[in-house]
Amino acid sequence: MTDRSNDETIGITRRETLHGGAVASLALATPPAPAAAQLPAPARLPAHAREFGLQLATSINGEPVSVAIDARSSLLDVLREGLGLTGAKKGCDHGQCGACTVHLDGRRVASCLTLAAKADGREIVTIEGIADGETLHPMQQAFIDHDALQCGYCTPGQIMAAIACVKEGHASSREEIREYMSGNICRCGAYVGIVAAIEQASTKMRRA
Amino acid sequence: MSIERNPDRPRIDAREKVLGKAQFAADRPVPGLLHAMTVPAAIAKGDITAIDVERAAGVPGVVRVFTWRDFADIRETPATRGGGGDKPGYQPMKRPSVRHRGEPVALVVAETLEAAIEGAEAVSVRYRPSSFTASREQPGAEREPVTVDHRAGDAPAAFAAATSKLDVTYLHPQQHHNPIEMISTTAAFVDGKIVVMEGTQNSAAFKFGIAGMLGQDPQSFESSSPYVGGGFGQKNQLQQQSALVVRAAMLLKRPVKLVMPRSQLFHTATYRPLSRHRVQVGAGADGKFEAVLYDIEQQNSRFDQFGAAAGEHVSRMYATPNWRSTNQRVRVDVQAPAHQRAPQEHPSSYATECAYDELAYALGVDPLELRVRNDTQHDPITGKPFTSRNLAECLRRGAARFGWDRRKKEPGSMRTRDGMLVGFGVGAGAYKASMSPAVAKLRVNADGSSRLAITGHEFGQGMRSAVAAELINVLDIDPNRLEIALGDTSVAPQHITVGSWGCASSAPAARAAAELLRSKLVELVGAGRAKGPVASAIARARRPFLEVEVSQAGLEQPATVFQRLNSGMPAPVGPEYKQFTAFSWIAHFAEVHVEPSTCRVRVPRVVSVCDCGRVLNHRTAQNQVRGGVVWAFGAALRESAEIDARFGRILNNDLADYVLPVNADIGEIDVELLDVPDTNLNISGAKGIGEVAMVGATAAIVNAVYHATGKRVRHVPIRIEDLL
Repeated sequence: MTDRSNDETIGITRRETLHGGAVASLALATPPAPAAAQLPAPARLPAHAREFGLQLATSINGEPVSVAIDARSSLLDVLREGLGLTGAKKGCDHGQCGACTVHLDGRRVASCLTLAAKADGREIVTIEGIADGETLHPMQQAFIDHDALQCGYCTPGQIMAAIACVKEGHASSREEIREYMSGNICRCGAYVGIVAAIEQASTKMRRA
Repeated sequence: MSIERNPDRPRIDAREKVLGKAQFAADRPVPGLLHAMTVPAAIAKGDITAIDVERAAGVPGVVRVFTWRDFADIRETPATRGGGGDKPGYQPMKRPSVRHRGEPVALVVAETLEAAIEGAEAVSVRYRPSSFTASREQPGAEREPVTVDHRAGDAPAAFAAATSKLDVTYLHPQQHHNPIEMISTTAAFVDGKIVVMEGTQNSAAFKFGIAGMLGQDPQSFESSSPYVGGGFGQKNQLQQQSALVVRAAMLLKRPVKLVMPRSQLFHTATYRPLSRHRVQVGAGADGKFEAVLYDIEQQNSRFDQFGAAAGEHVSRMYATPNWRSTNQRVRVDVQAPAHQRAPQEHPSSYATECAYDELAYALGVDPLELRVRNDTQHDPITGKPFTSRNLAECLRRGAARFGWDRRKKEPGSMRTRDGMLVGFGVGAGAYKASMSPAVAKLRVNADGSSRLAITGHEFGQGMRSAVAAELINVLDIDPNRLEIALGDTSVAPQHITVGSWGCASSAPAARAAAELLRSKLVELVGAGRAKGPVASAIARARRPFLEVEVSQAGLEQPATVFQRLNSGMPAPVGPEYKQFTAFSWIAHFAEVHVEPSTCRVRVPRVVSVCDCGRVLNHRTAQNQVRGGVVWAFGAALRESAEIDARFGRILNNDLADYVLPVNADIGEIDVELLDVPDTNLNISGAKGIGEVAMVGATAAIVNAVYHATGKRVRHVPIRIEDLL
């Protein structure tokens, strides 16, 4: 067994860079998820990971990001554990539930099945990047209007998939929405609301 | 007592959720966090003869590999997974042995998740397997004595004497909750305390239960679970991993997070056990019940106490002068089962509501009419009145909304224009109306902001929306400037939020706090000036804020109940009270379409009408009913754990093979809530809704499949091969 101390191996981690000072509010407050503009400066990998290290240059929610990653990392784990973008969720880690859905060059992908390295030079959009300041994306507003959620865990993935579903032209009828949204499981069973929300938002998105 | 009805209002935390800002347990930022991964046992029973950790420890980034030697001093207490009552449960990794497949045998902690995963894969465990029993049909299954749980009259004699008799047996498979949030545990150090962050319906267990297991003072622990990514009963208690992660963090003096993979959760977390239901009904020619004998056999682990209460709601469904329900546990070598949404009520309603449907067809009585004929306002078990029972109204209104009068009597006699066989089915349900003690601390500031800290957990059922409704109604506060802190032992004492007693406990506490604050304001400025939005009145009173705290017990509960609340112990009351028995009620109507050559079953629409007392938030309550119907669809046509008894392993331990309802499976679900307050029970007039939502709905679908096809399948899920 090893029992290496933190200090010998890693110095400061990206998480510390990102979340320094957040600990006092841990028990009570909900610190806002960092916007892309607040993403940390490129940090160096922990020493042990350098043998697997890669430098990833990508764009996340419209902001250029350069970050050292472990070549084994999924895009989901880099977003969540490396960059503090925890909107995309891990529900299965096997591409079976859709909770981790993000957009890669405008296409919906299961970020848990996407190697982070594959995002190099490409554009990533996550749930944190679709609202315009305080103004919600029409799909977000529609999810509120139709209560298209319960626990909210699958919701970011549902919304990202729903936006793509509309843009792909797969929201022309309820039947088509149901079919093209069946990669995103909602265990709470808010499907009726999700379909109604996509119907509402697709009309608004087409007008926009 | 009259009470205001709630208008349509949005869900109170919907905005955070659509923005991706709601922070679930594994989302919470913790500086210096280490990542853990478990190694699951590769045998179903036996001893561990050696664990080689050297290669794992050498994986770059691995900080430490824990084995049973590190956790041997963790205590098994009633709080431990698989306990119950005053019996201790079972904690894996305490000793060099295995009691069920998949239990953790090593815990690897590393600087990164990737290193932890690689480390876990590098741990090598040697076992000495022993023989085991993984199924109730195998030798070695231990049958406990049969116990009677509910009784009225003399059911065996009345059944023997009945003119019409039915004797059928229904099977229900093992099912898994599978909330989409995988169960994660994070132990962090904050202000000299250990804060445990795990998505849970029972944060108190993570203060008091963990402390007991680790031999520590509960005051050293807090638990925070402000958002839970679905629970459905799987997050009712400490998990197998919980104490291990906390102890690992204590030993390493660094925060540790474990997100247990879905494949492992199938073998470590709880589930709904397999059960067998024999239903014998004796009735008159008019379909009036004379006797029901109902016997349940339910699989269990060797060590868990889950069981019983199987006849609790079904014995109250209809006027049944003679009733006897029994249950029997059959113990095998698996992990502990426990409560899964409508734990007994769903399988029991499935079996009995299908049996009653069979009786209706046998007697030539309309299945809807059979239920209405057997309606009652008195509890057959205690003889007391129901505090409120509008089941017949639910059935009548549902039938009208559904168009039940278009039903043709003969099975297989209805078709769509494109040739699908059409079936109509009805099923009814009930769920006990319970309550637990709750504490509410409310502060309203003159600037219009306010904060409520309260007992209760939010897992999507709409707890925040329910308690906010009472503050808005009584105080006219601005919901957009209301902060609600819950599911957190550091803000208010916490009680396990299960059994559909959550909102019926916390909403009355919120209402009592709001009324107390209003009366304090009246004392300060007089009734006239205390009217209107309370923040303005506080400003007029030239106070910066007003704050109150109330402790609200459930109906008939003594003040001593707060001692239990304050020590993290469950303290529910109901459904039997001094003067009455209390349940929520529901009626479901399902239409199925069966493609005649492939026998593919679709459920294009369901109508559900529910008597859940006063509706606290229409959107969240309706959503609960729709969710219950989706769960019932899953039970009727999709979900079953496939167990390989040779190895004690669940074969379909992922979300591709354990088939859950998806969007394309679900048609229209039309919900009506009667919204009849039951102020006999509590000042909010609320009964539960999250569990009753599912009860009876699987039977409605199964009965509709019979009506469409004429085939009576007595197991679920019904699959194509059952109908071909």
